[in-house]
Amino acid sequence: MTSLIKAINVERSFGSGELETKVLKGVTLEVQRGEFIAIMGKSGAGKSTLMYQLSVLDEPTAGTIIIDGIDTVALDEVEATTFRLNTLGYVFQDYALVPDLSAEENVMIPLLMRGETWEAARTTARAAIDAVGLRGKYPNLPAQLSGGEQQRVAIARAIAGKPKILFADEPTANLDSISGRAIIELIGDLNRSVGQTVVMVTHEREYAMGCHRIIHMEDGQIVGIEELRTLEPTNIQPH
Amino acid sequence: MRSLRIGLLLGLRQIQRANLWTTGLIIFVMMLTFLNLIAVSGILVGLIAGAETAVREKSLGDIILSPRDDEDHILETEAVERQLAAFPEITAYSVRYRAGGELEANYMERRDLRGERDVASVNVTGIDINRELAMTNIDKEIVAGEFLDPREEGYIVLGALYTEEYASNFGDIFETVSGVQPGDQVRLTVGDISKEFTVKGILQSKVDEVSLNTYLPEREFRRFFGRIDRNADQIVIRVVRPDENTVVKNALVSLGLEGQAKVQTYEEGKPKFITDIKNTMNLLGTFIGSIGIVVASITIFIIIFINALSRQRQIGILKGIGIDRRAIEIAYVIQAGFYALLGSALGALLTYGFLLGYFERNPIPFPFSDGILVADPTETFIRFIVLFVITLVAGFLPAWLIVRKNTLNSILGRK
Repeated sequence: MTSLIKAINVERSFGSGELETKVLKGVTLEVQRGEFIAIMGKSGAGKSTLMYQLSVLDEPTAGTIIIDGIDTVALDEVEATTFRLNTLGYVFQDYALVPDLSAEENVMIPLLMRGETWEAARTTARAAIDAVGLRGKYPNLPAQLSGGEQQRVAIARAIAGKPKILFADEPTANLDSISGRAIIELIGDLNRSVGQTVVMVTHEREYAMGCHRIIHMEDGQIVGIEELRTLEPTNIQPH
Repeated sequence: MRSLRIGLLLGLRQIQRANLWTTGLIIFVMMLTFLNLIAVSGILVGLIAGAETAVREKSLGDIILSPRDDEDHILETEAVERQLAAFPEITAYSVRYRAGGELEANYMERRDLRGERDVASVNVTGIDINRELAMTNIDKEIVAGEFLDPREEGYIVLGALYTEEYASNFGDIFETVSGVQPGDQVRLTVGDISKEFTVKGILQSKVDEVSLNTYLPEREFRRFFGRIDRNADQIVIRVVRPDENTVVKNALVSLGLEGQAKVQTYEEGKPKFITDIKNTMNLLGTFIGSIGIVVASITIFIIIFINALSRQRQIGILKGIGIDRRAIEIAYVIQAGFYALLGSALGALLTYGFLLGYFERNPIPFPFSDGILVADPTETFIRFIVLFVITLVAGFLPAWLIVRKNTLNSILGRK
């Protein structure tokens, strides 16, 4: 087993002096390659803040985060952007698609940014859209898709570039239960079929049941790790 | 290059999906800005250009011969005339004799000899009537009576600004005689010599050289002023191709005409104040246009700022998924550029497709000229470039302000 993410003593606080609020209080965590973990906790427990630190969207106040051998805390803004582009995939709770772009173009954008040609990016994007079950919806604008479909496009965008880690921030929060379950199934399938490493924040225990581990957080600290299933060696991504 | 590609895609799609009315309104504002920049200075310059055209048509022509700096008159005028007559590129010329005199009117009705005489100091020009009319058609400017007839003697034509009735519109700035009508007798005096003339007509032109002048046939002029040497004070020349007057001027110089006269093109010989006023008007127009540019750039800034601000979260997410901030800035710059380009193109179409022709057909009547619209393509292009660049900057700044915000704060909508 190899650690893809290694977070050591990660702290994050906001404000300063008497007004300083510590949201993360020395979190240490490892995520293995091919693992699917869920971070759970009540509101204000620090689960989203932890995910932002792990996904290089925020910079911890203290501590170290090593992803795929790279100290992400040491990256400057431009390096961090490039790192996110090449290494990480994101699914946000409200889909976060560009409303002016078609489904296909939304998926193509990070691929084009990586330097793929228009045609290659389109082929990859269509394959990713097919993979999330939206074959033929390529030219649709986000407004022409249901919430569940939009979230699928967001997943297609996240996985099209074959990221090492897929971060999902409450991906079912804005969906009805049927669509929510379908999205969780889709993410679970990705993990099972291609060994996609997934870090997901969720409120719903039901959605976390397909994960390898559930990280329970409370008051900015990990208060428990629940092992649901063992990571099979075959699940390891070929990255 | 990648950033440019993404920026283009994002920018073009934003334009494509934007509300049609909003886009139309922004383009309309840009078009008005362009027109403000081109048309305001164009009309201001056009007033002077109109005056300049009139001076060239009604007075100075395309080439001007005047006395050399060390002489009082053009030497060997008759020989010069012969050379001009043989020149195929010259379509017309007029030989003018000039002097000053005192014009008196209403002297027959004057009862009190101690009272003030009705006199005005005037410029007097002696002309070959047929040549002058071929050159300037100033008989078209007659507002009362008729122009001189080469077969008659004892007649004079007065410029309207020497008559109180016409000059009063300009206030009390000219010396005038009052109540003079065609058919009235006036007395012209130079030194101790006086002669009576019958007023044949009154000339009113927007060219002061014409309206502030009195005209006599050249034979009478020379007799009256004692100019027996026939050497003239000015010869004005009309050429076949006015824009190539320099070529003709150079040909005349090569014939040795500079031995007899100073040879100048219209551009060289025109009064300096015309160029000065033109430059001033241009500056004034540019200043007024600049205010328009400032307003337009603020408009674009606000539009792009609101647009970027309302998409702040989306911008954050784009940065979050690894899109370079330059790509996002380019997208907004492209939008601003699109508005400026289309607005300016429509403005240019309106200017060159309609306004220029319209003002040509319907000049704006001003006391000193018929104002036209002047829109020199090179200057228009330069102003467009200025407008375009300023608009790009106005589009870039708000995008830059929003894009530089912390990625996570943008995603979470935090300030």
